[in-house]
Amino acid sequence: MAPVTALLETKAISKRFGGLEAVSGVDLRLDRGEVRALIGPNGAGKTTLVSLISGRLNPTSGRVLFAGRDVTSLRAWDRVGLGIVYTFQITSIYRGFSVYDNVALAAQRRRLRKLSDWIALDRQAVARDVEAALATVGLWALRDQPARALAYGHQRLLEVAMALALRPELLILDEPSQGLAAAEIDGLCGLVRDIARAATVLVIEHNMAVVLELAGRVTVMDQGRIIAEGTPREIEAHAEVQKAYLGR
Amino acid sequence: MTLGLHLGVLALLAGLQLVVPPFHHGMLARIMVLAAYAAGYNLLLGYAGLMSLGHAMFFSAGMYGTGLAIHYLGVGVATGFLLGVVAGLAVAAAVGLITLRTAGPAFLIVTMMLAQAFYLATLYFNEITGGDQGFILSGLHLDLGGRRLALADPAVKYNVALAVFAACLLLNLWLVRSPIGRILLALRENEERTRLLGYNTSRYKLLAVTVSGVISAVAGSAYTLLFSYVGSTFAGILYSIYPLLWALLGGAGTTLGPLVGTLVMTYLVDVTSGLTTAYLIVVGATLVATILWVPAGIVGGIRARWAPWLP
Amino acid sequence: MSLEAHLFLALLEGTVGALVLALTALGLSLVFGVMRIVNVAHGAFFMLGAIVTWYVSTLLGSFLVALVVAPLVVGAVAVVADRLVLRPIGYEPESTIVATIGLLYILEQAVLMTYGPYARPVTAPIYFRVDFPWFGYSGYKLIVGLVAAILLVATWIALARTKLGLYMRATQQDREMAQAFAVPVGRVYTTAFGAGAGLAAVAGALIVPVQQAHYLMGLDALLLSFVVVILGGLGSLRGTLVAAFVVGLSDGAVSVLFSPTLAKIVATLLVALVLAVRGRGLFGEEIA
Repeated sequence: MAPVTALLETKAISKRFGGLEAVSGVDLRLDRGEVRALIGPNGAGKTTLVSLISGRLNPTSGRVLFAGRDVTSLRAWDRVGLGIVYTFQITSIYRGFSVYDNVALAAQRRRLRKLSDWIALDRQAVARDVEAALATVGLWALRDQPARALAYGHQRLLEVAMALALRPELLILDEPSQGLAAAEIDGLCGLVRDIARAATVLVIEHNMAVVLELAGRVTVMDQGRIIAEGTPREIEAHAEVQKAYLGR
Repeated sequence: MTLGLHLGVLALLAGLQLVVPPFHHGMLARIMVLAAYAAGYNLLLGYAGLMSLGHAMFFSAGMYGTGLAIHYLGVGVATGFLLGVVAGLAVAAAVGLITLRTAGPAFLIVTMMLAQAFYLATLYFNEITGGDQGFILSGLHLDLGGRRLALADPAVKYNVALAVFAACLLLNLWLVRSPIGRILLALRENEERTRLLGYNTSRYKLLAVTVSGVISAVAGSAYTLLFSYVGSTFAGILYSIYPLLWALLGGAGTTLGPLVGTLVMTYLVDVTSGLTTAYLIVVGATLVATILWVPAGIVGGIRARWAPWLP
Repeated sequence: MSLEAHLFLALLEGTVGALVLALTALGLSLVFGVMRIVNVAHGAFFMLGAIVTWYVSTLLGSFLVALVVAPLVVGAVAVVADRLVLRPIGYEPESTIVATIGLLYILEQAVLMTYGPYARPVTAPIYFRVDFPWFGYSGYKLIVGLVAAILLVATWIALARTKLGLYMRATQQDREMAQAFAVPVGRVYTTAFGAGAGLAAVAGALIVPVQQAHYLMGLDALLLSFVVVILGGLGSLRGTLVAAFVVGLSDGAVSVLFSPTLAKIVATLLVALVLAVRGRGLFGEEIA
């Protein structure tokens, strides 16, 4: 009998683009509450895999199970409703909106359940959620700024705030440290540790320091398949992993 | 404050009929109905960010729904209006479903093609529709509070037109400040992000097309009732281009823009048509000038420079 | 006339129509393929070609001169429009659509003001009858088909074999890459726009002895070109040809057998649905 702690499972999931098999028969399993790093050389299929999990892409074959339920045929927007939240590799925010409105758009989603919510949205509750999310990432002071005016590091944080406002069960971060300065990376690590207290986190990362810092377990991909899984230390020493990376 | 501004504008329009010479009453009534049409169009263009070249389909669905029902079935004004709105709803929902997976230029071409097919169909079935010539409705009236109000009467016409415009304007205002309005703007700015925030973007697109179409049909139906005429001209491509022009000139994505754009253009066309038969050249010139120099439109420009709080 | 006769007539009309349509649609397809914009004024260029032909052949008495002058004049108009309007707005897709709609009205109304609202004929340069068993057919129309075919081949050669053609194809494939290889993208754009207009103008010029020149004649040409280009795929010469034949022949057939209006209704509905379902043409790349 499968242990009830599994939050996410993919079963032999594959994605083929024309002649290229980007993801090939991957069985991934995430336990509730863990922080997992997903690493591998460029083109290994990491972003494709998380796109399959979040619903951005439909698999060629295989299944995705979330909290024991088969979500393979669920559209992306419905998966967000279940708690699967994805932040983009290339920052994707609403550049024309204010920082506040960006997060508000995320926060109000949970509050729009019944028809009556549409007519009279509980703006107070939304405001509270926005404030909480912005405070956690440290952007509350910049809330009225247009998002396009933010420095890159802050835009990344804004994305995280939007993700938080969605109350994720599974938060997928796609290369969150990319483009950040060293001090910002430290802040990010602290933030992720905080988030991990309430949510399960899957992080795609190239920065091995971050991986060692944050991850409880590491999954290594290469050419569409998982080639190794283990603790950060075990992975560091793993021969095939070294070959895959050194061969980069 | 914004609501106050809008109510003020409506009050101003109401007051104008007391101040302005009678000739202009008919003109202003026409402008208000067409401004409602522009407002419907603007909902799709300025907020959901979808440019359609087929709105004449919706306007004339309202027109024909109402006009044909009154002409052939002899129903009263209220029923006729309702049927026009239902016709508009049906056409708009159908178009919304057909265009669900298109955007940008593809959306534009599909709406243009569908509207053209619709227009040609009204010509093809001209025994029923009257084709280009169209037909006239007579004796249209409202019975209110024991009194019979002839819609052809200038004062009645003006105030009914004002009422229709007011309803569309206020609906628009409410919509854009509601969660739906923000989601539409988000959809326009970054569709994939919006999807991954948990919003069924297809459903919102469909909603936007449908509501925009229904408002346009309301305007079309009102036009028929107030000006007693049904004809193919209103299904032609010019009547799909007009709301684009009005909304753009006035300011796409503003609530008051459609009124301003319709007002300016209608008078401009009116003046020019007295000078030359080629008066539509001002349509062309204004489109080019607007897109080159004032892409945000009149009200949009005002908002950018002085009043960022304008919806 | 018997059914076979009707069908043969439809075939002839359809073939001639298809060749001219292919020429017209090619211009539109070229502009979209290279510049990634939809030119709503394309039909107006077609119309201008016909109008200029009327002026030249009436004033100078030579249709052949008109056939050369028309595409040059119309091409020049297009280049001016490109420089004054399209380039300043950076060829942004939706703004360009609005701008070309404006251009359409300006051109149409300018013609209305000068040429007037009437349809005027242009005498064909050659008049002879080709006698088929069931009916006589205009020899000029057959020549139109022939000339259109020659021009199509010439365009293909120009695209495939000349440096300019190479530049255009490179820009179409990958604009940034082309720029990196020092292809003068700005000038390629202007040339493409002018060439597209010129092709439409030649088609208009060829057809005017058959159809008469009228300031509103561009709309039908535009709609049919859209139908062809969407079905055949923007930027694909082969696709345009195939689609032009499909559309031209079926338009001819339905027009002869039923009614021209019905033919247009069917054509526009068909393409709307194809585009809506596939998001692209039958052969072509994405439009959005």
